[in-house]
Amino acid sequence: MIQSLRRNVSIYSAIASTAAKARLAYNMWVWADFFATIISMFIFVYFWRAVYAGETTLSGLTLAQTINYILLARLLAPLVETRTIYFFGYMIRQGQIAVELTRPLDMQLRVVVETFAELATFLVQRLPLFLLAWLIFGLQLPSNPAVWIAFFISLILGQAVLFLFDWMFACLAFYVTETWGLSVVRIGVGSFFSGALVPLVMMPGWLQNIAAAMPFAQAMSVPVSFLSGITSLADAPRLWTIQIIWLAALLILSRVIFSITVRKVTVQGG
Amino acid sequence: MTRYLSLYGYFLIQRFKILMEYRLNFFIGSASTAILQAASLATIWVVMRQIPSLNGWNFYEVILIYGLLTMGESITHMFADNLWTIGWNYIRSGDFDRFLVRPIDPLFHLLADRFCHDGIGNFVTGALLIGVSMYSLHVALTPLRAIYILVAVISGGIIFIALNLITATSAFWLTESIPVTQVVFNMNEFAKYPLNIYHNAIRILLTWLIPYGFVSFYPASYLLGRDAGPVVWLSPVVATVFILIAYRVWLFGLRHYSGTGS
Repeated sequence: MIQSLRRNVSIYSAIASTAAKARLAYNMWVWADFFATIISMFIFVYFWRAVYAGETTLSGLTLAQTINYILLARLLAPLVETRTIYFFGYMIRQGQIAVELTRPLDMQLRVVVETFAELATFLVQRLPLFLLAWLIFGLQLPSNPAVWIAFFISLILGQAVLFLFDWMFACLAFYVTETWGLSVVRIGVGSFFSGALVPLVMMPGWLQNIAAAMPFAQAMSVPVSFLSGITSLADAPRLWTIQIIWLAALLILSRVIFSITVRKVTVQGG
Repeated sequence: MTRYLSLYGYFLIQRFKILMEYRLNFFIGSASTAILQAASLATIWVVMRQIPSLNGWNFYEVILIYGLLTMGESITHMFADNLWTIGWNYIRSGDFDRFLVRPIDPLFHLLADRFCHDGIGNFVTGALLIGVSMYSLHVALTPLRAIYILVAVISGGIIFIALNLITATSAFWLTESIPVTQVVFNMNEFAKYPLNIYHNAIRILLTWLIPYGFVSFYPASYLLGRDAGPVVWLSPVVATVFILIAYRVWLFGLRHYSGTGS
């Protein structure tokens, strides 16, 4: 029992460190990503300044609050993008899926470990950007450690929710082989309803309801609202409970759907 | 010239035969970019329904800027998408050498090799946005305006292609050019909004150095009868100058291409 646990831990930590190394290997991409993020921060800051030119508050948010929220959302925006769908498409195209399914590891667990290792690497890699956002645009981060803890807990829960949703959505790749288009659709819908582009409170009621019925906000709006000071700590237990319900439901659903749809798989070659 | 046109037609037919093998994929690919645009547009709508104008530009006026940019972008997406993939798809694999031994221009061959259907969604979205905006603002489509839009959109597409061509040339040295292209290409996001919301330095950059302003902001200023000076007539000139520079850069890179040995 203990031995198999130890074996599992060593296998999954090897997977995690490989994923982190793979992410760090491509220097040029990191620089390009830095640059793109800085550009998008410039655009969003100027845009929101122009929006607030004649107003003091919009939907109860001041310019400073909105800019703080938006800067954090820009810095964390790639977190609501997805690689799971593309990964499924790649495996099917290359025939790699056959190997994955015969491995003596749980495939979903393996990929989730990889995804979270990448997430952690990504956050560390982006630290200089947080510094730049502070220097150029006056990004304010909370000094209360409890807020940071609330942020990290809701970020991890939210990212897990999003991962499980993507896992379920990616099962469409077994039917449709065009995964680039599926990813783009998912990123478009996801970035809007996650609150990565505009604070969700600014949306009209009916759009807020749609956003609440989708899992995306759990991975972006909920954690970022903690960090930018829009959500108070008193709301934390309620928000965590909602996230855990999402997590439990999607965990069951994603595994059931995967095990049914994977029977449909037709490998294209490889 | 006619030879190249008929060759392009031939390439296009072959490409569509491939695309039609997977009809559902063709549809998803074409529609997916439109959904990405919908997310940005919904954002603008959510924000602008709360305020009367963005630095003097109302919702439909911003939509016109956005629509012009989207149409310009769709042209490079449809006809020059291979400038993105030249690194990993052609140079790294050695496939690029194939173009060099054929009796046609290698750049033409590269571009004609893959018409990209994913840009169709953007093309339709852009056209719709321009139409909706002009209709809502009661800007009549006179023959002069129609010609102006046509010239502006084509010039805009050429500006996009020229900038991507310059950055894609880096693939001859770096093998992978996407990060370089990405950096310059992303600057087009500035031109989704009126350039007068930015700091002067950004406006000058977007006008003379990385001239995405000529794709959207200046043509929109003309169509809406705003006083922006003679720059509103410069889109075709800027496009010509940039594409000529880009072609020289490309030729320079081509001379220094030595293959990857794969």
